Amino acid sequence: MIKVENLEFSYTKKPFIKDINFEVKKGEIFGFLGPSGAGKSTLQKILTGLITNYSGSAIVNHTESKNHDDRFYENIGLDFEFPSLYEKLTARQNLKFFGSLYNKKLRDTEELFHKVGLGYDMDKKVFEYSKGMKSRLNFIKALLHDPDILFLDEPTSGLDPSNSRDMKNIILEEKHKGKTIILTTHNMNDAAELCDRVAFIVDGRVKALDTPHNLIMSKGATKLKYSYYDKKEIIRQCPLNKTVEDSKLLDLIQQNKLLSIHSSEPTLNDIFIEVTGRGLQ
Amino acid sequence: MRTRLRSLIIGDIQFQFKYGFYFVYTVFTFFYICLLFAFPATIREKAAILMIYSDPAAMGLFFMGSIVLFEKSQRVLNSIAVSPVKVSEYILSKVVSLGLIGTVVGVLIAFAAGNRNIILVIIATFMGSVIFSLFGLMIASKIQTLNQFMVATIPFEILCLVPSIFYLFGYQKPFMLLHPGIIVIRMMEGKNIENIAFELLMLGIWILMIYMVTYRIVKKMFQSVGGVKL
Ligand SMILES: Nc1ncnc2c1ncn2[C@@H]1O[C@H](COP(=O)(O)OP(=O)(O)OP(=O)(O)O)[C@@H](O)[C@H]1O
Ligand SMILES: [Mg+2]
Repeated sequence: MIKVENLEFSYTKKPFIKDINFEVKKGEIFGFLGPSGAGKSTLQKILTGLITNYSGSAIVNHTESKNHDDRFYENIGLDFEFPSLYEKLTARQNLKFFGSLYNKKLRDTEELFHKVGLGYDMDKKVFEYSKGMKSRLNFIKALLHDPDILFLDEPTSGLDPSNSRDMKNIILEEKHKGKTIILTTHNMNDAAELCDRVAFIVDGRVKALDTPHNLIMSKGATKLKYSYYDKKEIIRQCPLNKTVEDSKLLDLIQQNKLLSIHSSEPTLNDIFIEVTGRGLQ
Repeated sequence: MRTRLRSLIIGDIQFQFKYGFYFVYTVFTFFYICLLFAFPATIREKAAILMIYSDPAAMGLFFMGSIVLFEKSQRVLNSIAVSPVKVSEYILSKVVSLGLIGTVVGVLIAFAAGNRNIILVIIATFMGSVIFSLFGLMIASKIQTLNQFMVATIPFEILCLVPSIFYLFGYQKPFMLLHPGIIVIRMMEGKNIENIAFELLMLGIWILMIYMVTYRIVKKMFQSVGGVKL
């Protein structure tokens, strides 16, 4: 569905997005992860035809995105980072208006409202909506015309855990219907749960790209953490597959002196820090 | 009419309604008509023509700034730029929606002033409104604040209004007949009906030329939603 080759782009003279290569298959959820300012939204703008002066190739739904015509958008759904709605119209009027811009058959608006818990707020004006409500409305606006490819830029940011859960379920539902989804997020747990593959993006480049599972397995070894008392509490760790070589640990076990011991698997976040040399903000 | 264009026009009218344009113009119409009767009957029709030309017809030049700035600030323009809406449809919708309300107001004022060339008034007001709205859209696409818009419209107002006022009050030279505003005013006066085909053609050419420039500027604005100056 998406194929990116040797993509390069910059807002300024200084190189920014560089050497980007990846492919996304139909029915896949593909994650863009990276620190703030890494270029995730920029990459999304390129794929959605909003930035056209890039070099290299970005083919989306069989179309080179910079050469797209207006029909390109019949099959693309975008959930922007920020609400993009008429504040003075009601939520329902907004969806009615934006829906009327497509030639395709639309999805059932009321059902969408209910799915994200806005069933009772359809006729409120958007300026009366809270931040999280606007995010949810913006999200269903992207689904309205039942597009084949969805671009979601931090859809769950600012949502409470239960609304965030609902939204993630809808995203998985869309995947099972065969929709291709590009998900940009700062939330490593969401990424690990939802994404089939993720790309770590730092300073405009892809630093690693694989399934969350493979990334965790290949980059990080499970560690054993233990503590004991020697004038004060001391915490040590060793790789799980090297416990035999840790004589201190063996001694402590012999002497029955361990205060605590547990294994810890790396999370996607640890891998991210390892791969990129920095944390997510 | 194609359905997407119709949807856009309905959306624009709804927007203009919500932001009080219809209310404001109801009040203005009433006010203008009252004002008309303060003029002596002999120049009432001329005064009405000047009123129509400089307000309901020129509405696009006054209000396009706030319309487009609202769309920019609420990022509605982003949503439109990633929908199947064509640049041409976006422009047409703005021009037609404002043209409709401008024309209705224009006809009411003209009728109150005793002008009975209503068909010509309709055509002239609408075409005049299209020209003003295109200028307004051109400027609105380029600016970031309402103040910038106000300042940038001044030269357009002068160019459109001053020669027309001179013409209307007696300074008439043949070359002035090429000025689109003067053509509009003559049409409203019901003068020169035998040359109507030529006048329509002239206005058509003007509109086409201004449209082509507007198209390029609006297209750039759509693309700059991606954040890139092209
Ligand atoms: N319209 C623009 N004009 C110029 N520079 C821009 C523009 N938009 C973004 N940038 C710059 O490009 C870089 C990447 O921005 P981008 O929005 O792609 O980051 P991001 O990875 O989405 O970050 P975040 O996680 O905070 O959303 C930043 O340095 C930003 O300042
Ligand atoms: Mg971003």
